[in-house]
Amino acid sequence: MKYFDFSIDSGGIATLCFVREDGGVNILSSEALNALDTKLDELKTAKEIRLLTISSAREGIFIAGADIAQIEGLRDEEEAYEKVREGQRILNKLSALDFPTVAIIDGACLGGGFELALCCDYRICTDDAKTKIGLPEVNLGVLPGFGGTQRLKRLVGLSKALELILGGKILNAKKAEKLGLVDGCVPKGYLAFKVNNFIEAVLNRPDEILKKRPKKTLMERFASPLIFYVARKNVMTATKGKYPAPLAILKLFEKTQNKEIEIGLNDEARAFSRLAVGDICKNLIGLFYTSEALKKERGVKNETEPQKISMVTVIGAGVMGSGIVYQFSSIGKLVRMKLRGYEQAGSAMKSIHKMYDSIIKRGRLRPEEAAIAMGHISYTTEFDGLKNCDLALEAIIENTEAKQELYAQLEAVMGENAIIASNTSSLSVSMLSEKMDHPERFVGMHFFNPVAKMPLVEIIPGKKSSDKTIAGVVELAKKAGKTPIVVGDCAGFLVNRILLPYINEAARLFEEGADFEHIDRLVLDFGMPMGPFTLADEVGLDVGYKVAKVLEEAYGERMKVSSILDRVYHQMQLLGKKSGKGFYIHTSGKPKANAEVKNLVYSKRNLEKQEILDRAILIMVNEAAMCLEEKIVENARYLDMAMVMGTGFPPFRGGLLRYADAIGIERIVITLQALSTSYGLRFEPAKLLQEMARDKKTFY
Amino acid sequence: MRERIAIIDGLRTPIAKAGGKLKDIQAERLGAHIVQELALRVGLPFGLYDEIIMGNVSQPAHAANVARVIALEAGFPDSTIAYTVHRNCASGMESITSAACKILSGDGEIFLCGGVESMSNVPLMYSDKMKALFETLAKAKSLSEKLYTLTHFRPRHIKPIVGLMQGLTDPVSGLVMGSTAEILAQDFGISREEQDAYALQSHKKAEAAIKAGIFKAEIAPIVYDTKAGKVMEDDDGVRMGQNMQALGKLRPFFDRKNGTVTAGNSSQISDAAAAVVVMSESKARQMGLEPMGYLSHYAYAGLDPKRMGMGPAYATAKLFDHHGLSLKDIDLVEMNEAFAVQVLANLVAFDSDAYAKTHLGRSQALGSIDTTRLNVNGGAVALGHPVGMTGTRLVIHTLKELRRRGKNRGLATLCIGGGQGAALILEVE
Repeated sequence: MKYFDFSIDSGGIATLCFVREDGGVNILSSEALNALDTKLDELKTAKEIRLLTISSAREGIFIAGADIAQIEGLRDEEEAYEKVREGQRILNKLSALDFPTVAIIDGACLGGGFELALCCDYRICTDDAKTKIGLPEVNLGVLPGFGGTQRLKRLVGLSKALELILGGKILNAKKAEKLGLVDGCVPKGYLAFKVNNFIEAVLNRPDEILKKRPKKTLMERFASPLIFYVARKNVMTATKGKYPAPLAILKLFEKTQNKEIEIGLNDEARAFSRLAVGDICKNLIGLFYTSEALKKERGVKNETEPQKISMVTVIGAGVMGSGIVYQFSSIGKLVRMKLRGYEQAGSAMKSIHKMYDSIIKRGRLRPEEAAIAMGHISYTTEFDGLKNCDLALEAIIENTEAKQELYAQLEAVMGENAIIASNTSSLSVSMLSEKMDHPERFVGMHFFNPVAKMPLVEIIPGKKSSDKTIAGVVELAKKAGKTPIVVGDCAGFLVNRILLPYINEAARLFEEGADFEHIDRLVLDFGMPMGPFTLADEVGLDVGYKVAKVLEEAYGERMKVSSILDRVYHQMQLLGKKSGKGFYIHTSGKPKANAEVKNLVYSKRNLEKQEILDRAILIMVNEAAMCLEEKIVENARYLDMAMVMGTGFPPFRGGLLRYADAIGIERIVITLQALSTSYGLRFEPAKLLQEMARDKKTFY
Repeated sequence: MRERIAIIDGLRTPIAKAGGKLKDIQAERLGAHIVQELALRVGLPFGLYDEIIMGNVSQPAHAANVARVIALEAGFPDSTIAYTVHRNCASGMESITSAACKILSGDGEIFLCGGVESMSNVPLMYSDKMKALFETLAKAKSLSEKLYTLTHFRPRHIKPIVGLMQGLTDPVSGLVMGSTAEILAQDFGISREEQDAYALQSHKKAEAAIKAGIFKAEIAPIVYDTKAGKVMEDDDGVRMGQNMQALGKLRPFFDRKNGTVTAGNSSQISDAAAAVVVMSESKARQMGLEPMGYLSHYAYAGLDPKRMGMGPAYATAKLFDHHGLSLKDIDLVEMNEAFAVQVLANLVAFDSDAYAKTHLGRSQALGSIDTTRLNVNGGAVALGHPVGMTGTRLVIHTLKELRRRGKNRGLATLCIGGGQGAALILEVE
């Protein structure tokens, strides 16, 4: 297949344009690299070329990166090394050309694409919104392997290069220019003649361009160990050492600090190949593919047009309600709040103001833009002004009667196409819609707390929800920057149904004499963002208890609420973080274990680390298997993604079921059977697991 | 007879004392809040509106044609056209009557009109000398030239010109509005005590109305400080428990020596916005809407700028003469209280054959206004007078009050700085 168009004008200005015959996305696959190799060999000796530009004919993309499928396919470290070295060898040819080379970046220029641009002598980009520049390899558990680590630090210096590569940062055009990743950034509409000006400058006044490039800072000259020290500290805080790629990047930078580029490139290839064949890289790539697949999901399996939603009403101004209002106002929607009193409008606007403040502080929004977005929020105490709203999202207390009464009031005043959705976290959607005139326009839309930070939205169709309704809320959630996953209408839906048994089991372990701080630490070490007791305190013991009770009612003995939770919430009246006391005492500084709670259990007992982890984690695996069995979620991939996004299940493990695969289904079944004998039927392995063990199957 | 203009519904923000609760909200934001809220409550698709017309006196420098800025910030589509009108204190009525003209001439069917004023944000300005200095400085090429220019600077150059005072001064006669009120006090021989007594009952009526929740029907509360989460639900200019002693203590503001007009018996400087949705009566019927009321007739009249306060008498005379109406046809009168003395002077003039003959070109007096039907819930002396907004407020309040009382026809009239008057006939049925 042809990958490049070559042309040259009478003035000796040559253009190499990346254009795929098959219309596919521009990526630096080994086939594309080979085509480039052949082309570069031809150009090397072309006397008539005075300057070469490299551009792309594809709208919105320069080169989107390397071929991820090829990275995923790497199994043998030596083979990986050879492949990367081959890519480096080809790109070295580009940087070794006698005449000047200019990359013209209009669109995504990521990973391998930017590494190619770094081999050019000069780079300019357009200010188009699609222009994104960076080396995000670390997010897939690898590092830039086509010379990116070596060439970027030579261009922008050690500390910036480390920051960009460790953070896997993707920059917009303005920022890329500011940091010196490109030599110029021009408005897209001016590109044609600005390129000519730039070429003229490269040919006649290159020093003017070069002198604008970043200089080595004093810090880099004399205190590079300090830079490494700080970077390592940040990495450890962010990853707790669970991710090998950032550590490998640090090590590589240290090792190659004063080395020649050829040695540096070789070390880079070695480091890359070690990471690329590792499990964590495969897990992260797996999740990446899942998120790409989810982006394409419409929530329904047919071509039904989604209900268009331009204006939203949120009922309820609590933490969830305010968060949802913020989320929709931030994407330019008019949002209306229906409240009990106007004081609530004040407190809701106050928390929304805080959310906007935090993104203004991070430089992602200008204060004027935030003011306009906040101006798009209106509030009322009556059921008025709702006719223009296409969606009413209910986020009031978890009380069936209150919700049903509200839906009746909403149905009376809203337009004939309007959707009513519930943010319920535990009540059945079909049951909630029983008394409605139009249950087909009702659906569950479950956000996670805090709304602004948690990417997951569970979409729960009731028995009668129409495709138009489902597709409508799926599309809206995507527009709001969230990842919607359609799940079944069972108690707890997907994420809470799997998570609650884990918290419950942790409580039982504590009840049996294990130290709850110890349990939290073990789970943290496993990779969860926080331990079950810290999580219970965060969520609020009242909220957690109520959800646990709903699940107990639905699933019976299997989810019987631990008596500890009952005692801590009912007898001791502790609420967790919001009241200052729960399993921990939350004052300023690090939370301390609450001795009163610890004293609830007299006999201390040392449980094996493995037993604690098995009980806490495998009970989730078992529940997850049942969810798949009952078709609560479409497939194991989506389930894993939901757990990663909804609970922070460690991405490096690739998800709950990928973790199960890694341990081995047979082993899990044996362990669960043993636990079931010792601790009760709640551990009885799911039918699906037993079948899989028998047939030697895996989830992936 | 021309077709009546239906006023579908109207809303306003609470009125805040200038420099107070709404001071950090610029005119366009205030306007957008009320326009958005009204449009949502009326419930027509935003794209259906043909135009948005807003009255505004002190038009903000940062938001030229504030009506269009309001339209966009309120969430109207890019295709919604908008313009700003200015007839001083009647700007909030002018927006409605302009729409009426357009509707009757077939130039659009559905309009969102209103008035907005942020008197807290009328800018302070540099003097001409300072302006000249800046210009020279900008032209200066070398540093020495710049430094030399700066030697011409004198501290008095930065004494600001108060935009608000300029706006409230008639440029032709050179009189500040309060001084035109003093002229009326002299013309009609109205004492300080009479003025204070009028002011007192305005406060008392407004106080009673607030306590009875009468204004709730027209006010859309506003979160005026999102950072602290503070909400304003009621007008805050009314002095609860106001009395003659307190009013008597105030010094005359415009004529320190002999004057009678004080801050206490004048309207207050305030911030607020108001809006209404208007269309022809037949259009409303066709759309199945139940209008809050109708505008049947209106008139603007011109008079001596030095006596601008008599505008209501002039405009009402013109309106009555033209349409053969009389005070007998009117159930309620809302006459803007720019100054207590100005309302009192109008009451005399309305009832005077002599005034009618010499000033209004009529053989007979307009008639005596029954004060129990006048400004029944207080007026601008108590509530405040955000100049560009007041006209719209009078229309909304007259109609809502007529409905509340089960009456049919009202007169909303006001005096206009620069020597004009406005009078509107509003009907419920």
